[in-house]
Amino acid sequence: MQRLAVTSLTHDRTKLASALAGVAFATTLVITQAGIYSGFVANSSAIIRHAGGDVWIMARGTRVVDFGETLSPGARSAVMAHPCVERVRPLTFTFVPLRKKTGGFDSMQILGFELDEKGPVLPWSLSQGLSHDLEEPMSIAVDEGDVGKLELPANPLGATMEIRGRLVRVAAVTRGIRAFTLQPYGFSSIRTARRLSGIADGRATFLVADLREPSCAPSVIQAAERWPELQAMTTEKFATTTERYWVNGSGAGAVLGFSTLLGLVVGVVIVGQTLYSMTKDYEPELATLKAMGASRGELASFVGWQAAFLGCLGAALGTVLALGLRRLVEGAGLVVVLSSTVLLGSYLAIVFMCSTASIGSMRRVLSLEAGQVFK
Amino acid sequence: MSGPPVLRMVDVVKTFRSGALVTPVLHGISLEIPPGGLTLIMGPSGSGKTTLISLLTGLFRPSSGRVELCGAPISELPEADVARVRRARLGFVFQSYNLFPAMSAQDNVAVALQMSGLSWKCARSRAADALERVGLGHRLTHRPADLSGGEKQRVAIARALATHPTIIVGDEVTAALDGVTAFQIMDLLRTHVGPDTAVILVTHDRRLERFAERVIEMEDGRVRADRPSERPPQHMRAAS
Repeated sequence: MQRLAVTSLTHDRTKLASALAGVAFATTLVITQAGIYSGFVANSSAIIRHAGGDVWIMARGTRVVDFGETLSPGARSAVMAHPCVERVRPLTFTFVPLRKKTGGFDSMQILGFELDEKGPVLPWSLSQGLSHDLEEPMSIAVDEGDVGKLELPANPLGATMEIRGRLVRVAAVTRGIRAFTLQPYGFSSIRTARRLSGIADGRATFLVADLREPSCAPSVIQAAERWPELQAMTTEKFATTTERYWVNGSGAGAVLGFSTLLGLVVGVVIVGQTLYSMTKDYEPELATLKAMGASRGELASFVGWQAAFLGCLGAALGTVLALGLRRLVEGAGLVVVLSSTVLLGSYLAIVFMCSTASIGSMRRVLSLEAGQVFK
Repeated sequence: MSGPPVLRMVDVVKTFRSGALVTPVLHGISLEIPPGGLTLIMGPSGSGKTTLISLLTGLFRPSSGRVELCGAPISELPEADVARVRRARLGFVFQSYNLFPAMSAQDNVAVALQMSGLSWKCARSRAADALERVGLGHRLTHRPADLSGGEKQRVAIARALATHPTIIVGDEVTAALDGVTAFQIMDLLRTHVGPDTAVILVTHDRRLERFAERVIEMEDGRVRADRPSERPPQHMRAAS
């Protein structure tokens, strides 16, 4: 039945093309939307996950990494006092105003971090320069995707820009580190970041604690929260909280989910219509098979194999299209994460789509009147 | 014709219902068809021929009465069991051929053989032999669209013959063919008649009587006449 089903499907090229286009379109849409959604989620917490550590300490009431408040100078030593804490890394993460070459104003998020002997963990993807180049005062790293927005030359290395009335030099260039808010990121030493943000020496917006033993995180959190101005949470919890805040709070999750659903519905309609019309066209032959003694299972497998063939080939075409589309989407400033989880989830959605689309045809085949072979 | 009947109908009634409308089509038909002959079922349109053949082959269930196919009470068996009996015992030939347009002649026949349990490779090999026997050994790879009406019907006959069924059932198998081709097709179908096998054809064409041993004439849902053929096949005339 497999051979008969697939041969019949490939015999009618026009119908095959329209059905494949439907599945491919739906696959592309589902994969791209799921990829954008994943990128959105990953991006919202990228700073936290890449900075790492075991426990993040922040001002009480802080909900997300993007909106931290400056901590008092004593906070670091208070956290360090816990015997389980191996080291505490201060971070500043603030919005700063910048003046562009053409005179316009904009803003960017400056992330300041300590460069110590253990080596920096930020920024995590450099295409030009080295992290240690940021040790030089008033040096920053910008992303190559933000060069146009910041009105920097195509090769921005060595170029200068004005942040909060101070000239800074681009000493390194990152690749693919884009904020989902589309505000450019700038990485610098914490000293430079403090100067650009107007934060006094010894202060930070976040403290990242590396523990000797990760299992003592609850004890560190409890100790930190004894201070009325501080709150603390594990890195994972802070990342998840930030993701939820942006995904649920912004409504982006619902929008992307709806677009994905729409893609699936379009796919179901196109594939369902094609399978149904093909089943209708093949009714005399299917009735002949039934008259010859084909079982209900064999007749249903005719539709099943066609749906499976369309699903596999269409999904493969759709994946290729989605990979091509990824560049275009990323060019527009969005991050698309096509992880194995995203692809697997998308393929399961396509399987569901093709199964749903074949229900009408299955019912028609199973209720087929074999007696019509004599009409 | 001899041996236990391959088909048996006892007091079969068939009515069709559409809402409140009840249409009686067959009225208490009883008949037996033994192996070893070609039987024609004739009659004007609306006489109940097609319904009769659909009941005989288990494609319809009677409203009342009993139908046996090669001893199996197909009017009482579950649908899946009836399908198994049909698969093992029947071969079909139709007026409009009912071939799979996407498949070659060889593959059309092979599908039926594969359904009977053969591997695809073996089924194709046997299909080639079957097509050779109906004179289409040179048309194996042709699709139905590339074949003439007579050739398509030969493929359909090869498909029906290939599984060595007990009974071949045909519906107006020559209606779309010219006279010479129609007789060639009938000659082919006669090759299936043997001591344990039978051919049953529904037709309007009285010229086909020369190929039949028996003629059942239907009228208004009843058997008007059940008689030997007026012009029996050559071997019977020679014997008599």
